[in-house]
Amino acid sequence: MSTLRLLLVGTLLHAKQISRSPFEVAIALVVPVVQATLAVYLFRSGGEQHRLLEAAVGAGVMGVWSSVLFGSGGAIQNQRWQGTLEMIMMAPRRPALVILPITIATGITGTYALLATLAWGRLLYGIRLDFAHPVAFVVAAVVCVVGLGMFGLLLAATFVLMRNANALANTLEYPVWLVSGMLVPITVLPAWTVPVAAILPTTWGARALREATSGGPVWPSVALCLGISLICLLVGFLVMGRVERRARAAATLALA
Amino acid sequence: MKTIRLMAVGGTIAYRALFNWTTPGMFVGTLLVGPLFQLLFFAYLGRQLQVADDRFYIVGNAVLTASLACVFGGTMAVANERRYGTLGHVLLSPRSRTLIFWGRVLPYAGNGLLIAVVTLTVGALLLGLRIPLSALPGLLLAMAAGSLACGFFGLTLGALGLRFRDVWVISNVAVALLLLLTGVNVPADGLPGWMVTVGQWLPITHAASAARSFAAGEGFASAAPALGRELLVGAVYAAAAVILLKIFETESRRRASLDTY
Amino acid sequence: MGSDYAIEADDLRRTYRARTGWLKPTRTEVEAVRGVTFEVGRGELFGLLGPNGAGKTTTIKMLNTLLIPTSGTARVGGFDVVKQTKQVRRRIGYVFGGDRGLYDRLSALDNLRYFAELYGVAPREQKRRIAELLDLVGLAGRERERVEGYSRGMRQRLHIARGLLHSPDVLFLDEPSIGVDPVAARELRRTVGDLAATGTTVLLTTHYMAEADELCDRIAVISDGCIQALGTPAELRKHADGFRVVEVEAYGVPDTAVDTLRGLPGVRETAVEVKGALQLLTVHSDAHVDVQGDVLRELAGIRLGRVNSREPTLEDAYVAIVSAA
Repeated sequence: MSTLRLLLVGTLLHAKQISRSPFEVAIALVVPVVQATLAVYLFRSGGEQHRLLEAAVGAGVMGVWSSVLFGSGGAIQNQRWQGTLEMIMMAPRRPALVILPITIATGITGTYALLATLAWGRLLYGIRLDFAHPVAFVVAAVVCVVGLGMFGLLLAATFVLMRNANALANTLEYPVWLVSGMLVPITVLPAWTVPVAAILPTTWGARALREATSGGPVWPSVALCLGISLICLLVGFLVMGRVERRARAAATLALA
Repeated sequence: MKTIRLMAVGGTIAYRALFNWTTPGMFVGTLLVGPLFQLLFFAYLGRQLQVADDRFYIVGNAVLTASLACVFGGTMAVANERRYGTLGHVLLSPRSRTLIFWGRVLPYAGNGLLIAVVTLTVGALLLGLRIPLSALPGLLLAMAAGSLACGFFGLTLGALGLRFRDVWVISNVAVALLLLLTGVNVPADGLPGWMVTVGQWLPITHAASAARSFAAGEGFASAAPALGRELLVGAVYAAAAVILLKIFETESRRRASLDTY
Repeated sequence: MGSDYAIEADDLRRTYRARTGWLKPTRTEVEAVRGVTFEVGRGELFGLLGPNGAGKTTTIKMLNTLLIPTSGTARVGGFDVVKQTKQVRRRIGYVFGGDRGLYDRLSALDNLRYFAELYGVAPREQKRRIAELLDLVGLAGRERERVEGYSRGMRQRLHIARGLLHSPDVLFLDEPSIGVDPVAARELRRTVGDLAATGTTVLLTTHYMAEADELCDRIAVISDGCIQALGTPAELRKHADGFRVVEVEAYGVPDTAVDTLRGLPGVRETAVEVKGALQLLTVHSDAHVDVQGDVLRELAGIRLGRVNSREPTLEDAYVAIVSAA
């Protein structure tokens, strides 16, 4: 009960802290809209005009992933810069419980991207927001956001030990977009990427949202996204404990 | 000679000082692996949607990858000086400010060129694109022109950083806009007219089209006009950066906001 | 709670390994703390005094579980700081100087709510406790403003409120008065004094002599990673026993004069401190030797200000201890 409260309060306050950063909000709103514009013209050039809503949703999900990726890496770096990393790691709590609210908050602020691309598509390109399964879309979006937040914990665990986590984050943006088929499922990728895609929660989250948008069996994808995310959460918990101890030994909590 | 030395030495030292927080691993990760993934992403997207062929995507995106190092580098050249509180010292130096800041751009542009070359080589090998050997000098030239123009473009953005607090918003958005507007990923005939027009005045656009001509085995003659236009765009930004720096410098001295961050 | 001591440090050592260089990385090792042993009684206000880089912060971070000692052991409230971190963390508060360590874009209230949750303050008590602490540190009425608009002193007081949320038995204060104006610093000292009076054990690091002298029951002088002296302020003052101090304000003391003075029989220490246009020359000498005449003779021809011969203070004792190290 007290754990749930901690997660809730922590997530809300971290989401508040991120949402008040002009930088974070500007990036979360503008960059995905540019990506979505790119997607719309790409889809048109490729003769896929009927899938423009998918393009808007896809670009939004790409934005959610960017937010989680840079957020989980960047948030810990930010905590370090603000000097709050030591303060929160010193709490008598499991380290994972301290970091998880931050990574979930980055998922939540990532939805700004999704909302922005949808609003932009509606207003500028007159894309009609007729989702095949509107209710399922909302559920899938929530699961996707929370799931990616849990995945973010696993990433964060790795990032705590590295002083310049952003660099690692930079390299992981495009491959995950690509392999998870966020904008459009890529059938022409080499065969070895198929199992990689299958274990990424991003693949199933993006797929659930696409199925809810243009029709398909949404729930199996939602369940898989949630299942894989829970496994990430579990592994994240274990790794985070070890990581914290190593960070105390290596003196990387403070920006000394 | 002394001028060149000031530009080269000053530029290199600043570059290392501003980058010294990165380890070689980080450098390779961010600036070599990241751009490669970017190229792969668009190349596969293009294959999937059958918008254009591999050469279009691979060559164009390889030239574009130079922009990452150049735009962020150029921005850093000004922004980090301010952040570390060294901007005042640089501006107070009696040597020509114009040369000092142009000098800052050179290592970033060189870095961009390196990234573009590596990305093109690895991308072409991975995706099986054959480029005629005779095209290589031309390609190198096109990428160098693109990198240089992009470096000055970055410097212009960095100069804007003197005026606006969140210079990184500007550079992040600029990098995203280059993806869209340079026609590297959507062929120009698929974009609305005004976007194409804006693209004409951005770096990379002409360098990418020159590079495509070279890669297609066409001679120097057919690529030369585009190459010339790229250099012109670069020169325009070089001038714009200096003018902006002068304006904002005067302004910030008056308002004493040089070292506020 | 079998232990009589709130804090026990036994031969703590800490080495930092750093990699520097970009093209040719070289590994360097720095011994920040080299064998520190001390105990702090329950309810005691204990000071760690030393120059910058002496190892004060490293020592504190080993005690408050943020750093694992390279060797040696430490217990807080009877619990091992390496193995029983959860028990230790429940009982300690940590406040450091400077303006980092807070969520700037959140209000003071949000900051305190968040940390109350993190530190496991019971939900029913949170509201009362937060109000109480806002009152104590004088931020009541401004708690809904964003921290980014706070002055340094206000941030420092918020830090203290945060450190006290879960009513810790042991409070670690790392240079709390750094960058705080004199009035705020005095208030801070009063708050710290009150805390100790109500039974909280306080470990304070500082390089302000007056602060340590006024507040601390006992002081450990630390320098080069080792404790050089430990005792009550009165005991430490004895390190300057048998001393006499001559202070001369002068304009333009030549280096040769200082060197000559250092060589005089009975002179232990000379120091020149620049204070604006004038220099303050301090000469420590054996009490039975009167060096004032020699000093004035060496400075003949130089414009002099106040000349003063006095008993040593804690500060002189501190200087003597640190420079003997």
